[in-house]
Amino acid sequence: MSLIVLNGITKIFNRGRPDEFTALSDVSLEIEPRGLAVFRGPSGSGKTTLLSIVGCMAKPSAGRVLVKGREVTSLPDRFLTDIRRHTFGFIFQQLHLVRGISALENVILPAYPSGEGLASLRERGVRLLDLLGLAHRADTNVEWLSGGEAQRVAIARALINEPAIVIADEPTAHLDTKLSLDFMAAMERLKAEGKTILFASHDPLVYESTMVDRVLEMRDGRIVAERRAS
Amino acid sequence: MNWIDKQRNIVDFALSSLLRRWRKNLALLCVYTFVVFIVASVVFFAEALKRDACLVLEGAPDVVVQRLIAGRHDLISSGHMEKLARITGVSDVKGRLWAYYFEPSVGANYTMVVTEEAAGRPGTVAIGAGVSRTLLAGQGDLIAFRGHDGAYVSLEVARVFPSSSELVSADLVEISEEDFRALFGLPEGIYTDLTLRVRNPKETVVVADKIRRLLPDTRPILREEILRTYEALFDWRGGIVLAIFAGAALAFIIFAWDKATSLTLEERREIGILKAVGWETSEVIVMKSWEGIVISLTAFLLGLVLAYVHVFFTSGTLFEPVLKGWAVLYPRFQPVPFIDPYQVATLFFLTVVPYTVATVIPSWGAATIDPDTIMRQ
Amino acid sequence: MIVSPAVIALMLGSAAVGLLALYASAWGVRILRHWDLRSGSESQLQLEKRTYLVSTLMAWAFAFQVGSLFLFIFTAEDLHRLFVGAMCAAGTLNVNEFGYPTILLKVGNALLAGIWLIVNYTDNRASDYPLIRKKYAFLLVITPLLLAEAVLQGAYFAGLKANVITSCCGSLFGAEAQGPVSSLVGLPAGPMRAALIASLSITFASGLLFRSGRVRAGGLFSVSSLAAFFISIAALVSYISPYIYELPTHHCPFCILQREYSYIGYFFYASLLGGAIPGAAVGVLLPFRGIGCLQGVLPPVLRRLTFASLFLYFLFSLLVVYSISFSALIVEMD
Ligand SMILES: Nc1ncnc2c1ncn2[C@@H]1O[C@H](COP(=O)(O)OP(=O)(O)OP(=O)(O)O)[C@@H](O)[C@H]1O
Ligand SMILES: [Mg+2]
Repeated sequence: MSLIVLNGITKIFNRGRPDEFTALSDVSLEIEPRGLAVFRGPSGSGKTTLLSIVGCMAKPSAGRVLVKGREVTSLPDRFLTDIRRHTFGFIFQQLHLVRGISALENVILPAYPSGEGLASLRERGVRLLDLLGLAHRADTNVEWLSGGEAQRVAIARALINEPAIVIADEPTAHLDTKLSLDFMAAMERLKAEGKTILFASHDPLVYESTMVDRVLEMRDGRIVAERRAS
Repeated sequence: MNWIDKQRNIVDFALSSLLRRWRKNLALLCVYTFVVFIVASVVFFAEALKRDACLVLEGAPDVVVQRLIAGRHDLISSGHMEKLARITGVSDVKGRLWAYYFEPSVGANYTMVVTEEAAGRPGTVAIGAGVSRTLLAGQGDLIAFRGHDGAYVSLEVARVFPSSSELVSADLVEISEEDFRALFGLPEGIYTDLTLRVRNPKETVVVADKIRRLLPDTRPILREEILRTYEALFDWRGGIVLAIFAGAALAFIIFAWDKATSLTLEERREIGILKAVGWETSEVIVMKSWEGIVISLTAFLLGLVLAYVHVFFTSGTLFEPVLKGWAVLYPRFQPVPFIDPYQVATLFFLTVVPYTVATVIPSWGAATIDPDTIMRQ
Repeated sequence: MIVSPAVIALMLGSAAVGLLALYASAWGVRILRHWDLRSGSESQLQLEKRTYLVSTLMAWAFAFQVGSLFLFIFTAEDLHRLFVGAMCAAGTLNVNEFGYPTILLKVGNALLAGIWLIVNYTDNRASDYPLIRKKYAFLLVITPLLLAEAVLQGAYFAGLKANVITSCCGSLFGAEAQGPVSSLVGLPAGPMRAALIASLSITFASGLLFRSGRVRAGGLFSVSSLAAFFISIAALVSYISPYIYELPTHHCPFCILQREYSYIGYFFYASLLGGAIPGAAVGVLLPFRGIGCLQGVLPPVLRRLTFASLFLYFLFSLLVVYSISFSALIVEMD
């Protein structure tokens, strides 16, 4: 069964106003469990918009989204959020760590509303940081972390709720080659663990990597071509 | 329990978020505390005055009977006393002697009264702290009073009243009956007014009615009535002062509104992150509410404690001119400390409710930032 | 007009509750008219966001409402010294014709607002807002009542003048008194005790049956828990209060709030209100148990509501038993 099904997704910004803009038109797509898929395309082609709809962060103007077979487009916000936080982990281009608190606190932040005790949350957070070789920086304020360390904190944060799908938007845009390769290595481990990974990227280092299973080419809000690794 | 742990986590984050923006929150806390302080001081002070006055009246007679001539208070003769004593339910009919005495050298009016304690010590007086201050007279000093015939009478100060009862005793001079009659030239059998007790408190109104019919040239004054007038007066004054400070409160609401609406970019970003990583709108609202509750309770407690110190330990320095009205014999009022759940509940309503109402819509606005905005920053 | 700080606080509180409810209702009207969950339009998303606002506003309004109910009684207690003949809140409220209507409306509004919040909570747990129209229509009913309460309360305080002669609990709740309030006193103690025991027993029995899965018992439970609320108040006046005062002739429902009786009245009324709100909410929600999305959501909510109601009525019963058995007063029942 497909993990996620998009059915005729259209996203129109500012509908009915002079600056109306169609960012996605009639996109249909299925994403199977396990594997790494990359959306690539020129700037403005709708990659971020598509990822935010797949990740249940935004609602489409038309069309349906099914997550694990459940129709989610008409769900109220609180249910959508619940599905989102248990299904998806996000890594943002700008990382978006909360400044002024420690790396560990940043990692466990998404799990606060789950009602898990802080002690056990911390324990899990430290374990995740340890896997990424960052346990010694757990109590450091995030401002003091290097770019690569911050990147790994963001990865750990995406994993704290044990999501099935990890979504990353332009994850390597701000990294040099070495850090980008480190990042891809971390993703390879996740893939080996059986997670599904979705990227938007126009970095060849990402979409030409051997671990990529599927590349979806986007242009003007549509998927125009698809290449699968054999 | 899951729910409690969830709230604990959210509170944990709310606290850390407050501390991270301590500058802004400290400013808010200071203004908030100040408003609570002002309002609480007014309420405490008015209540303290009221209690003090009531305490004094507790010991007052149930009914005072005064004679009126042409609508003005006049002296009353002992003939009336016997008639009063015959009314059923009435006991303890006594004549009272008291007068106002103007002292031109300091421009002050004293109240002279004859009391049982003073009766035993002719030639001496007991004076209030206000009198003592204006005349610079202490225990053992002599004070000269000008009599009705122009002759001076010198009396020794036997005692100065403690300042704890100053509000009512400041201008008091206690004097013996002989000295009083000599000073004002009053013959025996004449009194300023009469007092009596009523055995059953529920009958005072009935007794007053009988007095009015039996002695048409007099008016009975009930202690309860005086108490009520006092209460209404103090409540009213307190209310007026509060209304004045409502202006301050309004300014505060505007300030709070401004603080709450003008979320800094950093805060918006943070809430955006929370939403993007999986916090739900209502959880962010709860987080913001906890922030508000923490600020409110802190400011409330601080303001309350400060007001308590202000009113009960520094005698309400800031308000004396407004709430009390005597000029020369200005009493140094030392209120008795009290803490009453009713006053606290009132204050809570007066301060926390407006703050909450002012901030609820802005926090909602912050909490409904779309999570996907964070992906485009 | 009496301007004490507490009066200002109450007026402020009522104005705040009224404003919150009015603002919530304005959005309620729009939601009633334009709600369409299926549409992904921008305006629908905005409306959905507004539902969070309305929930938050009403939660605060309810909190203030309950607070102001108790502050109002507290104030009436405190002001009694201003009026000839008033010994407690009963006399103060009787000073003009707006006193008793205000307090009745306050109690009613607290009940209604509490029920609204429970309905709202339940609706939010279902995945398609099955009760959205009903609950916003309900909100539009509550708002005018809240506003009316603010107006009545204003009229009451505006009409207060010190030194007015009023009659207090002695005559209002005395044996030979006339009028609607005092007719409660005339209710004979024996039958009243029977009614109290009966209503509480039915509430407990039907509540336990309902919790163990008999859906039919739910309706009975809800009706009896609401009835128990009113019967308990009547019983407090006619039959229980003399035990607390240890005076066979004193029946005042307010004096028990005073310090002399260690504020026991607040516990009585808080437990009654806490028992009646969830109990009544069970009855309001029960008819919707068949609606698709609520099928899974409603049963646990109803079970918890029933538990809360039973628990608080149990506390109330304990208080009653305690007050009667530790009283020095012994009343012959005929
Ligand atoms: N809130 C919005 N209002 C109006 N237009 C928007 C909004 N968000 C995105 N767009 C427009 O939608 C189009 C697609 O945006 P999107 O961010 O999905 O592109 P992208 O493929 O991620 O581009 P990039 O590679 O530069 O990140 C862009 O032209 C953008 O200007
Ligand atoms: Mg993009």
